[in-house]
Amino acid sequence: MERILEATPGSKVLLLGNEAIARAALEAGVSVATTYPGTPASEIGDALARVAKDAGIYFEYSTNEMVATEFAIGAATSGVRALVSMKHVGVNVAADALITFAYTGTRGGFVLVTADDPSCHSSQNEQDNRYYALLAGLPLLEPSNPQECYEMTKQAFELSEKLELPVIVRTTTRVSHVRGPVTVGEIVKGRKKMEFVKDPSRFVTVPAVARERHLVLLEKLREAEGLAEISKFNEVHRIGKNGKRGIITSSAGSNYAMDSVHSLGIEVDVLKLGFSHPLPSKLVGDFLKSHEVALVVEELEPILENAVRALAQRRSLKTTIIGKSDGALPRAHEFDQNIVEAAILKAFGINGEATNVPMIQGGLPGRPPVLCAGCPHGATYFAVNKAVGKKAIFASDIGCYTLGVAPPYSTADLLICMGSSVGTAGGLAMVNDAPVIAFIGDSTFFHAGIPGLINAVHHGHKFLLMILDNRTTAMTGHQPHPGSAVGPSCCDITAVSIEDIVKGCGVKWLRVVDPYDIKTTTETVKEAVTQEGVSVIIARRECILLARRDKTGVMAKKPHIDQTICNKCRTCVDKFQCPAISSIDKVQSIDETSCAGCGVCTQICPSKAIKEGK
Amino acid sequence: MPDIYLVGVGGQGIITASKIIGDAALLAGKNVLLSETHGMAQRGGSVVCTARIGDVHSPLIPAGKVDVILSFELLETARAACNASKRTIVISSTERIVPLSVSSRKLKYPTLEEVRASVMQSAKDFIAVDAMMLAEEEGVKMSTNVVMVGALAGTGITGLQRDHFEKAIKMNIQSKQEENLAAFGKGFGETAKASNAWQSLKTG
Repeated sequence: MERILEATPGSKVLLLGNEAIARAALEAGVSVATTYPGTPASEIGDALARVAKDAGIYFEYSTNEMVATEFAIGAATSGVRALVSMKHVGVNVAADALITFAYTGTRGGFVLVTADDPSCHSSQNEQDNRYYALLAGLPLLEPSNPQECYEMTKQAFELSEKLELPVIVRTTTRVSHVRGPVTVGEIVKGRKKMEFVKDPSRFVTVPAVARERHLVLLEKLREAEGLAEISKFNEVHRIGKNGKRGIITSSAGSNYAMDSVHSLGIEVDVLKLGFSHPLPSKLVGDFLKSHEVALVVEELEPILENAVRALAQRRSLKTTIIGKSDGALPRAHEFDQNIVEAAILKAFGINGEATNVPMIQGGLPGRPPVLCAGCPHGATYFAVNKAVGKKAIFASDIGCYTLGVAPPYSTADLLICMGSSVGTAGGLAMVNDAPVIAFIGDSTFFHAGIPGLINAVHHGHKFLLMILDNRTTAMTGHQPHPGSAVGPSCCDITAVSIEDIVKGCGVKWLRVVDPYDIKTTTETVKEAVTQEGVSVIIARRECILLARRDKTGVMAKKPHIDQTICNKCRTCVDKFQCPAISSIDKVQSIDETSCAGCGVCTQICPSKAIKEGK
Repeated sequence: MPDIYLVGVGGQGIITASKIIGDAALLAGKNVLLSETHGMAQRGGSVVCTARIGDVHSPLIPAGKVDVILSFELLETARAACNASKRTIVISSTERIVPLSVSSRKLKYPTLEEVRASVMQSAKDFIAVDAMMLAEEEGVKMSTNVVMVGALAGTGITGLQRDHFEKAIKMNIQSKQEENLAAFGKGFGETAKASNAWQSLKTG
C-alpha cells in the first residue's frame, strides 16, 4: 500500500516529514516533480516515483539538481505546478538557475525543497540554506514537524502563484526524517498540458531585462513581507503571564524551545516563525518592543538573530537580544533539548539546573558504517591496493565508496563535493610525482564528473579515473540514474552508456573490468597508471544489496575457511575488509548469514584456505 | 508518555520496528513522534531511532528521560547504556553482530554478563531476549525486529493494547503476516512475565 496515495481525506496518518511534503504536492495538484537523490531529502522523490503513474504526475530522477531545477522551470513558466527537491548541497548545484529564476518569476506554482543536515549526519558540510532565500530574494517557509511539512508545502504553491515567485521550503534532518501524525486532504489532479505564452521581456534575462526584473523582484519581496505579517505560520504562543521574557525561534529549534519551556515550567512568550523570509518586521518588532529580553533559538547560522538585531536598531528598541553572538547558543551542529534548556536558564537569569548530558561510553569496539559484505567497491579497492600500494594519491567522491577512506584500503585522500574526484585529480597530478587515481560512482559521474573528464582530456592531465559502476545510486536508497534500464513508474527511459560518454569525451585508453575478478582488475590498474594522459577503467558489478535481493550474480554455495589449511596470515581481515569475515581468538571464520557469496575471498587467500561451497 | 530509544545495526529492521510502534500509538489515539537514521549510517553502522508517545514537540529524547532502551544487538546495548537512568528498562536482543573493529583492532566483544552489569549500574531493569531463536521458531528468521516489538509491548510500558500492535504489524509487513504475528507473540510472552513481576512488586 502506498500510504501517501491511499490515505483518505480527513484521516490522520503516520508520515515521514518527506512523505508529508510529497502528499501535499499531490494535493496541490502538482504536475511535474524532479529531484536528484540526497540524504535527508531522498524520500520526497522516492515516494513520488512510486506513485507517479497512479497519481498521473510526471516525476524524474534528474541527472543533477541543476537539470532538475531547469526542467521544473520549463514546466512552471508554462503554467503548471512543479516541485523540485534536493539536499542542501544540491542547491549549490542548482543555484545558478535558481537565483536568476527569482528575476523572471514563475506562472505555475514552483516550490523548491531544500533538506539541510545540521551535524552532517550524511553530508560533507552543514551549510545553512536559509541564506539562499536571502541571496536569491525568495520567500522561505520552515516547517518543524511532518504536519507543518504538509501544510507549508501546500501553502507554498499558493504563495508562489500569488507572488509569481519560486518559494523555498527548508527542512532539516530532524524534520525530514521525523515520522508523525499528519491529517491529510483531497488529492487534486494537475494539468498535463499548457501553452507557453511568449514574453521575452520577462523570461529572457539579457541585461536590459535583468535590470528591470530585479526591481520587480524587490517589489514582490515587499508584498511577500506583508503576507508574512499575517501568515498563520507566524504565531505567538503565550506560556504563562510573564510578559517580559520572549523567545524568537524557527524550525527544529522551536521544538526544543517548546519542550524546554514546558520541562522547566517557566513563563515566557514564544514567537515561532514558519514564514521567516522576508522577515515580518512589524510582527517581530512589536514582539521585541513588548519584551525586555528576547532569546533567539535557531540552529546553525545566526540569520534570524542578525535580522532581529538590525530591526531593533532601526526601531531604536532597548530589548536585550541574546543568541549566538554572545555564546548563549552554538553556531555549529544540531541542537537538543539540553542545549536549549541551558540557554534559556542563562538568558533569563533563572536559577535551575540543566540536565547533564551523559558521556558516551569508551572502550567499546566501534561500529562505523562499512562497505557491505560482497560490495564490489571493496574488491576494487583490494585490487588497487595490490596494484599500486599506498603511494598513489586517491581523489575520492560522494557515495558509498567514500567508505574506502578507512583502513585497510585507505583509498580516499581528498574529497570535496559531487564530481570533485575528476577535477581535483588533474591538479594533484600536475604538481605531484606519485600516481593519481580518481574514484567516482556511476550516478556521480553522470551528475558532475563529465565536465572534469573533458577538461582532463583537453589539457592532457595524467591520471587514472576509475568509474565504480554498481548500476545504481546506492547510498541514497538505490534510485535509478541515466545509465539505468528502469526508471520511475511514470516514464519509459533510455539507458545512456558510460563507455560512449567516456569515448565521446576523447579518452583513448578505456577498459571495463569485473571487480570480482581480482587478478584482471589488478593487472588492468597496473597497466592504466603507466599511460600518458587520462586513462579510464569502468569497474562494473551490480550493487550487492540489489544482487542479493534479486538473487543474481551470487554463488549458490557460500565459501568457508578450511582451518586445516589456514596458516593465520590474516590477509582476509587485515588487507581485505568483509563484514562476513571475523577473527575471534585468532581464528578467522565466515558468517554464513552475512556472507553474500561473492567469492572474492577465495581469490585473495594466499594459502587457498578459503574454498567455494561446502 | 514513554520515551523509547531504539538501537541496533543498520539493516536489522529498526525503522520498521519504530513504524510499528508509531502506527500502534496512532491507532490508540495518542500523539507520537519518531526520529530515524537514513543514508550512510545504514551501511552496517550503529543506528539510533527514537519513539516518543505523548504530547512533545521534538522527536529527540532529552538526557535522563529515556524510559525504555530497546536494543537489537548486544554491543549496541552496551553503547546505549549511558542513556539509561533509574527510570530506564533495558530490553536487549542477545544477537551478536561482530564489528570489523573486533577482528582488525583486536578489541573484545563484551559478554552478556558484562553488558548486563554495565547497564545495571544506571538502569532500573535489564531483560535479555533471544530474538533470533524466537523468530526462527516461527519460521521468520529475519523478523527479530518484530520479536523485539513484541517484547516492548509485553512490558505494558507503552500503555498501548496488544491489538493496536497487531494491527500496526499488518499495516507495515506484507509478507508472512501470520508468522510475524506469532513472532510478535513470542516476544510479548518473554517480557509479560517480567512485567507481572513489577506489577506484583508495586501492589505488594
